[in-house]
Amino acid sequence: MKKLYIIFWTLFLGMNANAQNTQAQKDTAKVLEEVKVIAIAKKKIQTEMKMAVTVDEFLASSDNISFIKRGAYAWEPLLNNMSTERSTITIDGMHVFGACTDKMDPITSYVESNNLSAVDIKSGQEGSLHGATVAGSIDLKRKSTPFSSEKQYSGAYQTGFEFNNKQFFNLGNLSYSSDKFVADGSISFRKAGDYYDGNNNEVNHSQYNKFNTSVGLAYKTSPFSAVRVDAIFDKAKNVGFPALPMDLWLSRAIITSASYKQLFQHGLIRVWDTKVYYNAVEHYMDDTKRPENLVHMDMPGWSTTYGLVSRANLKRGDYSAEIQLNAYNNLSIAEMRMYPQDRSKRTMFAYSWPWVTTRFTSVAMNNSWDISENSRVNFGGSLGYNYNRSKYVEFNRIFHPGTAQEKSRILPGLHASYELQVKQFSFSAGTGYGHRAPSVSEGYGYYIYNSFDRYDYIGNPDLKNEISYEANASAGFKNERMGIEAKVNYFYIQNYIIGRILSLGSPMNYQSVGVKGYTSLDHARLFNMALNANYNILQHLHWKGTLTYARATDDKGGNLPFIRPLSYQTSLHFMYKSIGIQTSLNGDLTQINYSPEYGEDQTPAYMILNISANYSFNIKNCKTVLQVGAENLLNEYYSTYADWGNIPRMGRNIFTSLKFSF
Amino acid sequence: MEKAIFFLAVVCLSVISCTKEKTDYEAEIATVVTEHYEFKEAAAISSEGYTISIEALNGTFYKGYNEIRLKITDTRTNENIHASSVIFLPVMSGADGSNTSCPHLYDLTYNADDKYFTGYAVFTSESNTNGSWELYTSVIINNKTYPAKQNITVQEQPNKNLNMTAFTGKDGEQYIIALVSPQKPKVAENELVAGIYKFNKPTTPPSGSFPDPSQFSYAEVNDYTLQLDPRMPEPSMGNHSSINNKDLTQQSDGLYYGIVNYTMTGNWTLNFIMLNQNGKILKGTEVPTDFTPGVEGVKSELYIDILF
Repeated sequence: MKKLYIIFWTLFLGMNANAQNTQAQKDTAKVLEEVKVIAIAKKKIQTEMKMAVTVDEFLASSDNISFIKRGAYAWEPLLNNMSTERSTITIDGMHVFGACTDKMDPITSYVESNNLSAVDIKSGQEGSLHGATVAGSIDLKRKSTPFSSEKQYSGAYQTGFEFNNKQFFNLGNLSYSSDKFVADGSISFRKAGDYYDGNNNEVNHSQYNKFNTSVGLAYKTSPFSAVRVDAIFDKAKNVGFPALPMDLWLSRAIITSASYKQLFQHGLIRVWDTKVYYNAVEHYMDDTKRPENLVHMDMPGWSTTYGLVSRANLKRGDYSAEIQLNAYNNLSIAEMRMYPQDRSKRTMFAYSWPWVTTRFTSVAMNNSWDISENSRVNFGGSLGYNYNRSKYVEFNRIFHPGTAQEKSRILPGLHASYELQVKQFSFSAGTGYGHRAPSVSEGYGYYIYNSFDRYDYIGNPDLKNEISYEANASAGFKNERMGIEAKVNYFYIQNYIIGRILSLGSPMNYQSVGVKGYTSLDHARLFNMALNANYNILQHLHWKGTLTYARATDDKGGNLPFIRPLSYQTSLHFMYKSIGIQTSLNGDLTQINYSPEYGEDQTPAYMILNISANYSFNIKNCKTVLQVGAENLLNEYYSTYADWGNIPRMGRNIFTSLKFSF
Repeated sequence: MEKAIFFLAVVCLSVISCTKEKTDYEAEIATVVTEHYEFKEAAAISSEGYTISIEALNGTFYKGYNEIRLKITDTRTNENIHASSVIFLPVMSGADGSNTSCPHLYDLTYNADDKYFTGYAVFTSESNTNGSWELYTSVIINNKTYPAKQNITVQEQPNKNLNMTAFTGKDGEQYIIALVSPQKPKVAENELVAGIYKFNKPTTPPSGSFPDPSQFSYAEVNDYTLQLDPRMPEPSMGNHSSINNKDLTQQSDGLYYGIVNYTMTGNWTLNFIMLNQNGKILKGTEVPTDFTPGVEGVKSELYIDILF
């Protein structure tokens, strides 16, 4: 083990000597009281509206995240209006990859709100610390209790019921901390039936069952070092996907890691944290509950990843930096087996992911330098190496004769930004450049049925790297009573990967209408804008509003799919003593720039009104919060631009929840 | 740290045991396809102190295309004997007294490196009560002819990838198309090899001692084209096809070579259109290319079904 440390040291020192690229680090801890040192302000896992949120609902409250929804469960997060291939989604820096070819299991579906402490969202190349990206990064931070000088127990239990889909949930977590040892544990159950839309019609196949548990143990090996092991186990069963022709029978994930952390009192390096991890995801679909299916098909998928993430925080005077080494190996396997109507006949078999290995290594650095009291420069970069190997490359060679079994790519990334504070005004401007490799599906997918546009998708191993050039800027004003901030970003993406109709080839899945191959557009442009404002009307009455707009076009000026129309959210929050009342109004305007070419139709405008109230009181030393509320109070019938197959969203939902914490 | 590693190891092991087993892809195809590599003796004929050993894959003659190897040894010394020529003629005697043959190489070619004669026979039926097969050979050693015959058994070909079809073309000739390769296709681009044979109708009545080779003459047809359209006939597959296939054309060894792409395992129909050297269609029809889920795929009037 010692030798390993020395190797890492040398590696880091070497990197520091020729550090060309880097980013922002505001503080570094000096004593090991926190197990985590996170530079960026964290968001707590609860929204203002609702305290018992799912991870999806929580992410939805961020203004640069939107969702593709295939049902009530496992929403696919879109960052800056870009799908998950373009962002890196990690859990404490660990890469986890879903095992479903139809993206029914984004990583966010394998965690639960009670084992997360925060979600760290970074836009664009600033997020390249965790790996090559175009859209940015979403890092789900797990809960980890700090060491304490006295023995302490803390915990919370939360239960609730939501009337629309009869969701009943129980979430519990317990922590123990002492001077030397910390233990965190959590467990959760959620069970929901079908939900009802705004016309009070049942949306069939929208039920779900989820079980999640996690454990984390930390041991202080010296005043300045600690080891920690973590594990999350997640199991979802009998999950309906109303927008898809099949459901989920079972998915299971185990996410494990062991880390070592060292703090330094003196010198340039302040924290060094190294973690090895292993995770395995299995995902089995089920179409037996859909009698309309002509052909029964098994579609199991497996994804196994192991890796290393090692990071160091540096600080000297006005300069601070973060260096991170990432390395992982992923094996993605997905099978399809179709059963003929005459079951005595031979089944038909193919791989939709023919045992695709991805190996990725990157070194990334973010630097931050305070030039003066009120201005700062952030700059950084990453250099990644991506390797793919398709074990059964003969599948890929059917559409791409002679393609190589192995493919290596170099993925560079650079970014820089400048922040300026002038009295109550703040400004920032930044730019970035980065490459990303095609995902497993984009590179090696084989007849992956997409029920949105009803095409079978074929990957292309020889796709070029997607290259992003981005610019971003923000301006804000803040005083005691109010704040307003405008943020814009613009991406010019070369070799933008998207599915295009292949005139050759016929579909394999009986619902599909044709075959699409992943190809590179010459370029695409994306523009995102968000305007946030808050105003304290009275001491106990606060107003908040958000307006977002996005526009994206391909190289011929046509619209790209899944781009959020002009949307708004406005909320009022009243707090007096132990009573809180919140109300919010949100909606999208009519989707003007939709893309029929990619299977979209125009989605009309909608507006949703939500309201909730909570009351806090103490039972002995136990803090108790009772909450009652209603989402979609007016029972509006609607579906959003990103609802797969225009399935209607949930109608009026009355929710209750009770939380005890000590 | 050790505890941590132990803990991780336990967790990892518990996960490696997946709920559903992954498919063993190599074994998957082998469930319905038997592949034979080895030539074994399928028949032995003794003739005046010489033993003529006829080898076929797996030591069995199957309906369809059979590559054969013929070795001659001295029965007493067991030494390999070099013959100057070997002629080979399979004949089926029907229960009704008819005699027919099948496509075969009459004058076997000598493989000097491995010291055996090589040829082929495309048996058009299995041995059964309606007919039995006999091999007539004639070996010339030191200018002396040693004729011999041997009853053989032709078995059903269990591997559908070596299927054959016999038909009458629009020119009134009798044709046989037999699949030669691949024995064991993959979900991949496969080189498809077939033999196309024509019965040379005798112009004169039989003469001489039985069998008169002129009555049983078959030939490989030259410069034909076999247009290929592979499709999955299963109704749920909706007439699914593949891309980048190539029509079969004749190569120097007389066989026809093309490319077939199988996109998944299962039943496939190779729809053919056979054109003669002048591009005239002798057999076969175009098949619909529409995607028709729920409807069994329409086949060409000339096709061979395979399964893997």
